[in-house]
Amino acid sequence: MQEASMKAKIGVYVCECGPNIGQSIDIPRVLESIPALDGYEDVELVPKSYGLLCSPDGKEYLKKEIQENGYTHLVIAACSPRDHDSTFMGICKQAGLNPYLYKIINIREHCGWIIHDKDAATEKAIQYISGGISRVLYQSELFERQLEITPDVLVIGGGVAGIETALSLAGEDRKVYLVERAEELGGSAARFASLLPRQQGGADLIKSKIEAVGENEHIRVLLNTEVESSIGFLGNFEVVLAGKSEGEKTDIKVGAIVVATGCRMSDPRSFAGIEYADSDEVYTSPEVEKMNTGGTITLRSGEKPASVALVHCVGRGEKGYCSRVCCNYMMKIAGYFKKQSKETKVTEFFVDMCVPHKADQKFFDESARLGIDFKRVRKIGLSGTRVEFKGMDGKKQHMDFDMVVLASALEPSEGTEALAGLLEIDLDDRGFYREAHHTTDPVATSIDGIFVAGASQGPRDISDSILLAQASAGRIRAQLIPGGKIVPEVKVSEILEAYCTGCKTCLEVCGYGAIYFDDQKGISVVNEAVCRGCGNCFGSCPSGALRTKHFTNSQLLREVTEALK
Amino acid sequence: MHHENVVVVGAGLAGMKASLLLAQAGKKVHLVETLPLIGGKTIKNEESFPNLECSTCLVAPIQQAVLQNPDIEVMTMSAVEKVEGDDGDYTVTVKKSARYVKVADCIGCGMCYEPCPVSVSNEWEENLGERKAIYVPCPGSLPNVPTVDPEHCLKLSGKGECTACVEACMFGAVNLEDRDETVKIEAGAMIVSTGAGVFDVSKLPDLGYGEYPGVYTPFEFERLFASNGPTLGELKLRGTENAPGKIAIIHCVGRKECGYCSGVCCMYSFKFAHFLKKKLPEASVYNLHSDICVPDKTYQKFFDGVNGTHSEMIYNSSMESLKVTGSGDGLQVTYLDEAGAEKNLEVDMVILAAAMVPEEGTRNLAEVLGIDLDAAGFFKVRDDDIASVETSRKGIFVAGTAEGPKDSQSSVIQADAAVGKVLAFLESLKPQPEEAAAGGQG
Amino acid sequence: MSEGQQKAEFTPKIVGFLCNWCTYAAADLAGSTKLEISPSLTVIRVMCSSRVDHNLVLTTFFRGADGILIAGCHPGDCHYGKGNYYARRRYAVLKRVMEGLGLEPERLQLSWVSASEGNRYADVVNAFSEKIKALGPNPISGRADF
Repeated sequence: MQEASMKAKIGVYVCECGPNIGQSIDIPRVLESIPALDGYEDVELVPKSYGLLCSPDGKEYLKKEIQENGYTHLVIAACSPRDHDSTFMGICKQAGLNPYLYKIINIREHCGWIIHDKDAATEKAIQYISGGISRVLYQSELFERQLEITPDVLVIGGGVAGIETALSLAGEDRKVYLVERAEELGGSAARFASLLPRQQGGADLIKSKIEAVGENEHIRVLLNTEVESSIGFLGNFEVVLAGKSEGEKTDIKVGAIVVATGCRMSDPRSFAGIEYADSDEVYTSPEVEKMNTGGTITLRSGEKPASVALVHCVGRGEKGYCSRVCCNYMMKIAGYFKKQSKETKVTEFFVDMCVPHKADQKFFDESARLGIDFKRVRKIGLSGTRVEFKGMDGKKQHMDFDMVVLASALEPSEGTEALAGLLEIDLDDRGFYREAHHTTDPVATSIDGIFVAGASQGPRDISDSILLAQASAGRIRAQLIPGGKIVPEVKVSEILEAYCTGCKTCLEVCGYGAIYFDDQKGISVVNEAVCRGCGNCFGSCPSGALRTKHFTNSQLLREVTEALK
Repeated sequence: MHHENVVVVGAGLAGMKASLLLAQAGKKVHLVETLPLIGGKTIKNEESFPNLECSTCLVAPIQQAVLQNPDIEVMTMSAVEKVEGDDGDYTVTVKKSARYVKVADCIGCGMCYEPCPVSVSNEWEENLGERKAIYVPCPGSLPNVPTVDPEHCLKLSGKGECTACVEACMFGAVNLEDRDETVKIEAGAMIVSTGAGVFDVSKLPDLGYGEYPGVYTPFEFERLFASNGPTLGELKLRGTENAPGKIAIIHCVGRKECGYCSGVCCMYSFKFAHFLKKKLPEASVYNLHSDICVPDKTYQKFFDGVNGTHSEMIYNSSMESLKVTGSGDGLQVTYLDEAGAEKNLEVDMVILAAAMVPEEGTRNLAEVLGIDLDAAGFFKVRDDDIASVETSRKGIFVAGTAEGPKDSQSSVIQADAAVGKVLAFLESLKPQPEEAAAGGQG
Repeated sequence: MSEGQQKAEFTPKIVGFLCNWCTYAAADLAGSTKLEISPSLTVIRVMCSSRVDHNLVLTTFFRGADGILIAGCHPGDCHYGKGNYYARRRYAVLKRVMEGLGLEPERLQLSWVSASEGNRYADVVNAFSEKIKALGPNPISGRADF
C-alpha cells in the first residue's frame, strides 16, 4: 500500500476491442497522451495498443510482453472487469507478475459506448487510464493461501436427515460423528408405521438405515450427547461434545458441521380458538400415529370412534407459514381410520389442500375415494370435540365428533435457538435455521462450513428431508476433499492492532462471522479464511484500524484524484 | 481418465449449480445446452419469489462463474444424441449445431444486427418482440455471442446472397460456412437437468388464449414486465399502447388435465400481482384461485403481503366452468363462486397460471439416455429408494424441474444432492486398494 | 462572470462508487445497449456499497467532487446479505455531516440499481448530473488540505 519507491515500469495496453472502441475513441491520441501524464517522473510508462487482448493470440502476446519487458505493474484499458478480469489475472500469473499488481480499466461499456462524442470519449478514456495507472502503483502483491483441511464431519441430530447425511458421507477417508441427544436414533420418522406413498419402503426403510449406521465402521454414533462448544471455519472446526454424565467430554476436529435437529409439533392449545381439556378425545397427529403403530386407534374407552374430525391448518395463521406436510399425512391418517373400520365417518376440515409434489394429487384422489367428507373452510376453531368453523360462505357453523385429530403447525425443535447461538449461525424470523440464500444456496448457513439438513431448515416431509441431507453431503463431498486444500479469498480485510480500540463494531456488522475478538489483547481480529472481502467492516470502523488488502482508500482516492483533475 | 468427466445436460439453474460444484470437486464438466444462451428459465423473470430479487443479479454471477471456469466446457446449441456404454463407462455423443459465429473471435459488440435485413418473431421473447436472423435472444444474454438462424437467414436458407453480417464484423467472427459438429465424450456419470415447460393453454379453448390478445401465458407476462424485455418493461396490452386497468390471474390452469399441482404457480401468480401494482398502482388485480399452495416457510408471508393490498383473492370453485370471453374491447371472466353461483368479472387482461409440464424433447431424451419416464412424462427416479435423484440407469442422475414441478430452491437442492451422488458413484468406480494389490480388476 | 454564467458553463465532476454485483453490472448493460450517459460521472468500482466509508466520501468532496453517487443493490438483494442496509445508514449520517460543513446534502445521492436496470442506471446518472449542474460548483473544494 505504499507509494512506489523503486522505479516502476508499467505496461499500459489499450485494447482496440472492435470497431466501437476504435471508432469511438481516438486510440493513437490516447497512446500519445500517456507518457505526457503528470506526476509519473519516477515511473516508466510503456503504452501500446493491440487488436483483441482476450483472443488466444492476444493472451499469448500479453504474456510475452510482460515477460520480455519485466513490467512491475500492468494496466489494461479494455472492457468490463466482469468480462475478463480473471482472464488477465491468469495471464499475469503465468507471466510471473503478481496478479494484484494489475488493473483493468473499462473504456468500453463505461466510456466509448456511452459517450457518443469522440473527443469527449477520448478525454474520458485518458482520464480513466490515468486513474488506473495512478491507482495500480498503490496496489500490493497479494498471495493465495492454501489451508489444510479435515475431511471429517460432525452431524448434529440422529433423525432421518442426520442418518442420511452420515450414510452419504462416511467412508474410508472420511469419518462422521453422528451426535444425538436422545437415547436412540430415528427422530420423528421412526415413530410412523407407514410413510407416505411418495416414500416407498415404509418404516422398515428407516429401520434399515439405522442398522446401516450401526454397521458402518466409519460412523461414530454418540447418543445422549450434545454439542457444548464449537469454533472454527470450513475445513477446521474444533468441537467439544458433552455426554449425559458430568465431565463426559469428547474433543473432535472436523471440517464441516451438518445441523439436522429436525422439528416438532407445536402445542395446538397455544393457538387462539383451540381449546380442549386433557380428558377430551382430542389428539395430535403424532399421538394418533403412535396408536396406529401400536394396533388400533381408539377412544380412551377402548372403542373405535364412530366419527372423526381431521383438522388441518392449526396455527397456520399465527405462525405465518404453512407446514407443508399436514395435508398429505392427514390423508394418510384418514386412510388409517377407514382401514380399521369402513363405517367410521371421517370429516376433513381444511383451508387449502396443499399437495405440491407430482405424486400428491394422485394420493389425494385415491384417499378421497375412501369416502371422506371434505369441508373447505375459511377459519377453524375447536372447543372440546366440537369443531367450530366459518364456511366458505362466511357463516359460522359447528359440528360435533367422537374424536378430533389436529394437524398443528411444525416448529423448530426445542434447543434450536440455543444451538444456533452456540454455532453462531442465523435463524430466520420463524426460528428455523436461515439458509445462506433461499434460492441459490439453500443448504449452507451464514457460516461457511456449517450446513443444514432436514426439517430444521423448514417444515418438510421425510422425502425432502432426506434430499436436503443428500444435498449437504454433496456440498461437503465437493468442497472438503480428503487430502485437498482450501484456497480462501485473497482480497480480505485486516485490522491494525495499534489502532483497534476494541469497540467490536466491525464484528457486529460482519455478515459472515469473519471477525472474532481476542479477549487477551482486547482487539478484533479478521479470520482471513472466512472473510469475503465486501468491505462492510471497513465502512464501520471508527478508528481507522481496519484496512482492506485491495480496494484500499489510498487506491480509490487515486482514482478520485485523477477524476477531479 | 474418463471417470473424471461428467456430462451435465441442461444449463439452467440446477445444471449450472451442479457444474460449478462438480468443478470445485475437481471434475471436468461438459455442460450441454440446446439454446444459444445459458441460464434456463430463471433469467426470463425480472424478479424471483419469495424475496423479489432481481433474477439477473442472482443468476448472472453464476452464469459468469460457469463461463469463466476452466474446468467447465460449455457447449451451447448442443444436444445429446447417443449414450453408449454402462456403469460409469459412458460414451456420450453430442451434436453441436452450427452457431455460424466463432465464439473465440466475437467480442459481443452487436455490429452485425443492424445490417441484417431479416426480421422474425423472437421465440425466446415469447413472440412478443422481433429479432434478426443473426441475434442474441435478449440483451444481456450469456455467452454474449450471436447465432444465425439458418431457417430465416437469406444466405443459409438459399433465398439470397446476403452477407451483410459477415461484412459488418471487424473480426471475421461471422462464419456462414460453419457446420454442425459431432463430438464424443467419455464420461463417468451424467446429470440431466433439462428443466420443464409450461402447459399448453391453447388446449383449453374456453380460456381464450390465442383468440383474445389480452390473454397471456405466464412467460409472456414475465417478458412483458421484464426491463430487458421486448417492451423494456412497459405494460402495454398486446397490439395496443394501453396499459391494462383490470387484470385477472387465473390459478390452476391445467392442474386437472395434468393430474398434479405444480407447487409454484400460486407463488408466481402473487408475484405477478406485485409486479402489476408496482407499475400500475391504480390497477385492480384479481387472483382467481382454488387451493392456495404456499408450502415453503417463507411463502405464506409473501401471500399475506399481497392479499387484499395488491390483489383481491377470489375463490373459484370450478376450473371446468371457468370461461374467458370477449366483452366489448375487454374480457369477461365467468366463474362459479364457493356457493356454485355464476359470477362475472370484467377485465382488460387475463394471465393464465399454467401447470409445469415436461419440457419438449423429454421423451426423446429419455430414449437417448435409456432412462424411464414417470406417468406424467418427467424423468423417473428409482422407486426403491426415498428421495432419489437416481434415474433408472446407473450413473445417470436427475436434478431440477426435469424430475417434476418444483421451485428454484428445490431444484438447487436436487442439484447439490445429484453432485454428491455423482461423486460417490465415481469414487466407487476407482479400483479398491485390495484389488489393486491383488493385480487390479479383471 | 455572473453566477448564472458560471453555472451555465459549469461541467460538473461527479464520482460514482458502484457496487460490483448490481450497479456496475447495470452500467455495463447500459453500455452494451449504447445508451448516452453524461461523461460528468467517473465510475469507481467497489465490491459492496457498504465499503464506502465516511472518510472516502468526505475526502472526495474536499478534493473537489461536485457530486457523489453511491449505488448498490436494492434492499434485500445485496450479494453479501445486508451490506446495502449499512450503506444506507452511513449515507444518512453523511448527509448530516455535509450540512455542518456547508455542503448541500443533495450533492450526495444513494441509489439502488439492479443488474438488469441498464436504462434506469442511465436515467439515474443523467438526472443526477443535471441536478449537480444546477447546484453549481462544490463550495468547499480545496478548503481542507486532504
